Amino acid sequence: MVRVLYVEDDGEIGEWITKDLTDRGYEVIWLPSGNKIDSYISMVDIVILDIMLPGLDGFSLGRRIKKEKEELPILMLSARTAVEDKIEGLDFAEDYLTKPFHPDELAARIEVLLRRFQKRNDILDIRHLRVYSKDMRIVHKQTNEEILLTGKQYHLFFYFIRHLNQILTKEQLYESVWGETFLEGDKTLMVHIRYLREKIELNPAKPTIIETIRGIGYRVKL
Amino acid sequence: MKRFLRSLLAKYMLIIFMALILLQLTYFMLALVNIVGMNLAGHPPLDEKFSEEEVEQEWHEAASNMKNVSKEEMSEHFSKWSEKYTEASMFWIDENGKLILEKNVEEALPQEWTSTFAVEFIKERYGGDPFTVIAFVGTNKEQGFIVTEMPRSAFNPPIVDIYDKYGSLLTIGVVVIIFLFIVVSFLFFRGIRKRLLQLQEAMELRDTDGLPIEVNIMKKDEIGQLENTFNQMVTELRDSKRREKEEEQLRRELIANLSHDLRTPLTKIRAQSDSLKQEDLSTDGKNALQAIDSSIYNTARLIDNLMSYTLLSASKYTFEPKKIDIIRFVRESLATWYPSFEEANFGIDVNLAPINDAKWVVDPLWFGRILDNLFQNVLRHAKSGNYISVKTKTTEHYDVIIISDRGAGMNHPSYEKGIGIGLSIVDMMVKEMNLEWDIDSNEKGTTIRIKRSR
Repeated sequence: MVRVLYVEDDGEIGEWITKDLTDRGYEVIWLPSGNKIDSYISMVDIVILDIMLPGLDGFSLGRRIKKEKEELPILMLSARTAVEDKIEGLDFAEDYLTKPFHPDELAARIEVLLRRFQKRNDILDIRHLRVYSKDMRIVHKQTNEEILLTGKQYHLFFYFIRHLNQILTKEQLYESVWGETFLEGDKTLMVHIRYLREKIELNPAKPTIIETIRGIGYRVKL
Repeated sequence: MKRFLRSLLAKYMLIIFMALILLQLTYFMLALVNIVGMNLAGHPPLDEKFSEEEVEQEWHEAASNMKNVSKEEMSEHFSKWSEKYTEASMFWIDENGKLILEKNVEEALPQEWTSTFAVEFIKERYGGDPFTVIAFVGTNKEQGFIVTEMPRSAFNPPIVDIYDKYGSLLTIGVVVIIFLFIVVSFLFFRGIRKRLLQLQEAMELRDTDGLPIEVNIMKKDEIGQLENTFNQMVTELRDSKRREKEEEQLRRELIANLSHDLRTPLTKIRAQSDSLKQEDLSTDGKNALQAIDSSIYNTARLIDNLMSYTLLSASKYTFEPKKIDIIRFVRESLATWYPSFEEANFGIDVNLAPINDAKWVVDPLWFGRILDNLFQNVLRHAKSGNYISVKTKTTEHYDVIIISDRGAGMNHPSYEKGIGIGLSIVDMMVKEMNLEWDIDSNEKGTTIRIKRSR
């Protein structure tokens, strides 16, 4: 079970989110201040931090957590919306969500972070594929055969898996996988996507896994 | 007094005094050299010289004091005279014009003196060389006259001698001193000029915060005082800038806190309405909750816009322009908005064709804000059209980003009033970044163009 450490001084909001996240299947540890946070850091998978807190504020808490445990994802959840605050928050935190928010959005963002930090060793079922994200394995469910990819194709596919439901622009994809600046008109990415589709899609002409978002990029939806 | 001594004025006066003193000293030194030199060369010392007036008076006195003088007496007088004035020659002409006695006379004198000759003699000697004194013997002029002659050189005062002997040396000395004076003055003023120029350069230097940097004070003269005043000004400037920054910070903080304090209760309303959703509600109840949610969303957005608008109109909104690829930027923004449009069942038409120059100098946060406001408007107010198109195009004069929808248009009453502030923010930001924009809105849809002139 995923454990969420949630620091929020407002009773009503704290209660609401604790209940909502618990209903969604998370184990929530809700603290009204960051005073005793140290003893929980080692046992949780993700931290949700408010900024305006009694005692140490969310920024200081976040930096302290990151110093101690770099690989623990942090999501800032605050009613502070100024650009300066967001910049300061995103300096160390992975995500910044402003209040008021929809609990669905919070849950979705938590999921994205968990996947990005591979806290979810769950097996993902995407249409006809079963993906073992930790082992980096892809199995065709109907034939039970493992699908083998080339190095770049693996990179590309698991980049999509880490950013499930997100639309990735061709620049983003190219630069993350190839590590070089994308030049307008470069066909490399398109070619690789085509080969990847030939391996994973049932019908590469009508792809269901890697969706093309015309004019923007690609997306793999859960 | 101490301050005066340190001043440039005092220094320059010192230079002038030095020059004057040196000039006088040269004269003095030359005179000294002359005297010492004359003594060494056996010249008579200065005090043995005598003036013409003295000689003339003495000669006249001696002559008028004589009465019935004999040849022997006169000869004795002549001897005494020539002892005192070694260079003098003298002779005696009696009342009948006869030459009676002569001493040391080198020229040939006539034995008989006619009155014509006497006048001629006087005329010739008057103001000439040798210096000649003619005196009648006795008070009644009954014994003729006696004449003494001395070369003028015997009378020359020492200064004239020095000019004769050391004139060119003195001139050179004076010229050298004047030249020295000019050189020293030149160096003095060049030093001042150099320091002033350095000061000017130092004043033009700017720190990272755009303020001048304090200069080092080397001397405590007038320029030093100027530097000191400049430093005081820099300090004052820095103080005022710091105060301004603090005020700005305070203002920002105030607005941020205000926004925070408004958003927190909104979040609580959301929390309560969300827990209501768990209850078994009628259709009307569910609709009411939907309306509450929508209001919460709109209010939060209004608070945000109001905050941005306040900061923007007070020019306190952080502005950091960068050169970015605008097509890529629009594409990334669309990638985040796409799911929302998708959820609202919008037809989405994206065509980000290459434009003439995609490198735009904009603040990415600002441009993101512009796109967010425009997309949000489409999502909220053009629902009836269910369509959004984002295109880029190069026209004759502009590179253009075109965002269009098929909604009911901005004049439709469904358009909430709060939209004004969102578009005002777009307007301010677009203009601040040297871009242009226009809106075409009718009942068939709205088209917004953001243009950058080529």
